Amino acid sequence: MNMGRNNSSHCTRRSRYTLSLKTKNSTTLAEAVAAIRALAWVIRSSKATTMMDLEIELKKASDSLKSWDTTSISLAAGCDLFMHYVTRTSALEYEDFNSAKSRLLERAEKFGNQPVQMSHYHEKLLTKSVLQARKIIAMLGQDFIFDGCTILVHGLSQVVLEVLKTAAQSRKLFRVLCTEGRPDRIGLQLSNELAKLDVPMKLLIDSVVPYGMDKVDMIFVGADGVVESGGIINMMGTYQIALVAKSMNKPVYVAAERYKFARLYPLDQKDMVPALRPIDFGVPIPSKVEVETSARDYTPPQYLNLLCTNLGVLTPSEPSVPVLLISSPP
Amino acid sequence: MLEAFQESIKDYSTPPEKALIRDLTAKINCYVSFLIECRPLSISMGNAIRFLKTRIVKLPLTLSESEAKATLLSDIDRFINEKIILADKVIVRHAVTKIRDGDVLLTYGSSSAVEMICLHAHDIGKQFRVVVVDSRPKLEGRLLLHRLVRKGITCTYTHINAVSYIMHEVNRVFLGASSVLSNGTVYSRVGTACVAMVAHQFHVPVLICCEAYKFYERVQLDSICSNELGDPDAISKVPGRKEINYLDDWANRENLQLLNLIYDATPSDYVSMIITDYGMIPPTSVPVIVREYRKEHLWI
Repeated sequence: MNMGRNNSSHCTRRSRYTLSLKTKNSTTLAEAVAAIRALAWVIRSSKATTMMDLEIELKKASDSLKSWDTTSISLAAGCDLFMHYVTRTSALEYEDFNSAKSRLLERAEKFGNQPVQMSHYHEKLLTKSVLQARKIIAMLGQDFIFDGCTILVHGLSQVVLEVLKTAAQSRKLFRVLCTEGRPDRIGLQLSNELAKLDVPMKLLIDSVVPYGMDKVDMIFVGADGVVESGGIINMMGTYQIALVAKSMNKPVYVAAERYKFARLYPLDQKDMVPALRPIDFGVPIPSKVEVETSARDYTPPQYLNLLCTNLGVLTPSEPSVPVLLISSPP
Repeated sequence: MLEAFQESIKDYSTPPEKALIRDLTAKINCYVSFLIECRPLSISMGNAIRFLKTRIVKLPLTLSESEAKATLLSDIDRFINEKIILADKVIVRHAVTKIRDGDVLLTYGSSSAVEMICLHAHDIGKQFRVVVVDSRPKLEGRLLLHRLVRKGITCTYTHINAVSYIMHEVNRVFLGASSVLSNGTVYSRVGTACVAMVAHQFHVPVLICCEAYKFYERVQLDSICSNELGDPDAISKVPGRKEINYLDDWANRENLQLLNLIYDATPSDYVSMIITDYGMIPPTSVPVIVREYRKEHLWI
């Protein structure tokens, strides 16, 4: 057991190292995928001889990964997803512990879709499966884009970008309005990306959204996490746009991968782990003035129209969200 | 009821030349008919009886009588333990995460699950206030109020007439359920639908606490098509106020009927979340839970 404990703390450090590599490197590797690969590494190097021991080690590693960044929903969701799969596998009776272990590794690798090579932490950890998931979503999502339409995009989501790229490549003619996205000004980064694609685009500051909503045909957003009620947690401003869209009858489409489905159920905006981002107003603020620095909001499912995931296109109020959580593998 | 069945199984002995399974099932049916004569069965009782009958039918024929009885008794014990007692613990654990310090909770009538949640939240030190809404003729809220106040929880007591007045102060509404139907409709004590509707209008989240054994594969669109009638005299008389005797001869009046419904159906639109032993689920997922977990667990 002592060996096990030393091993798990070593795994923890290694897992955190993988995650930190991700943040240094590109945005293409998702945190959840890095976490699952780290857990796969734990399985590989584990000296446990029974499923219970392995589960305990994995649980410790998963908790430690989650504590690395308590505000990241996709990280927690990815860890939970894999742990859920581990629990289900161990509940089934495998005669051979090794075959169960290899099955888990196979699933983890499928998620990363590349053999976890211990010596390759230094290269760009591009995972084929995340890209694959995005491609599936892009293919499904771009079906909704028709010639001559105007799309409103909020926040910089790689998935949504992929959808737009795929649509542009299939020679669809469309226009994109993108919001500035204070305080990060993320809309400016998005506009750079879109300029490379030669897609006509217009930048709107956040307050101009209702003004311009008349001309919009659909809204595409990504998600930090999809919650059990079918709603999404995303960058601040998404709820506002969804409310305006609902009142003006414009469809809101969310593009999210399967691993973003989290076992959370916020009842209102304050019912989540706060993620605070300091805002720079450019001028000094008097000390008595408080600033709302929350960076995320929750959009309830009644304001969303469709969720495009790599498992298909779902409606948010359908029972499918919890069913996916229960039944399908990561 | 299940404990009564346990006693009856203990006292049961197979008559000669009769199969245990068939005879016991017939006896259970007799007992059930008797119970129905006293009072219509609730949906959860119906589910429990179905469980018992399934277990009896599944008994292997090779078991001796004492072994069969022992198996049945342990099955019932397990049902009670897993589906009721442990389920309540899980529900309480989930529900207290939704109570924050400074919250004002509202509850209606007297639900054992909600009482456990309040007591547990108070035990772990959360600061909150409870508004207990009550209604005639049962006035069940008084029991809950009594128990909560005894533990030191700050409570407010009001009648259902005032629910729209008090709702603006409330952060969360916790309601119990007699049953949850397949389309997410909550079947509960009469008055619950009213409270849920007002809460919905004030944008207050409504949380239903219900164990999974109470889920039922029926769809009901309104409260009238299947309900239970209570005693009409309970409406016409007010205990302690003899001077209110306007309705004393209601039975003689031809064009007057007193309707005392016991249950009502709350549409799923008014429900924000259902807390069960399988976790916190939106009301649209009830048929999924019913399907998936009944298949997997089959009442075991």
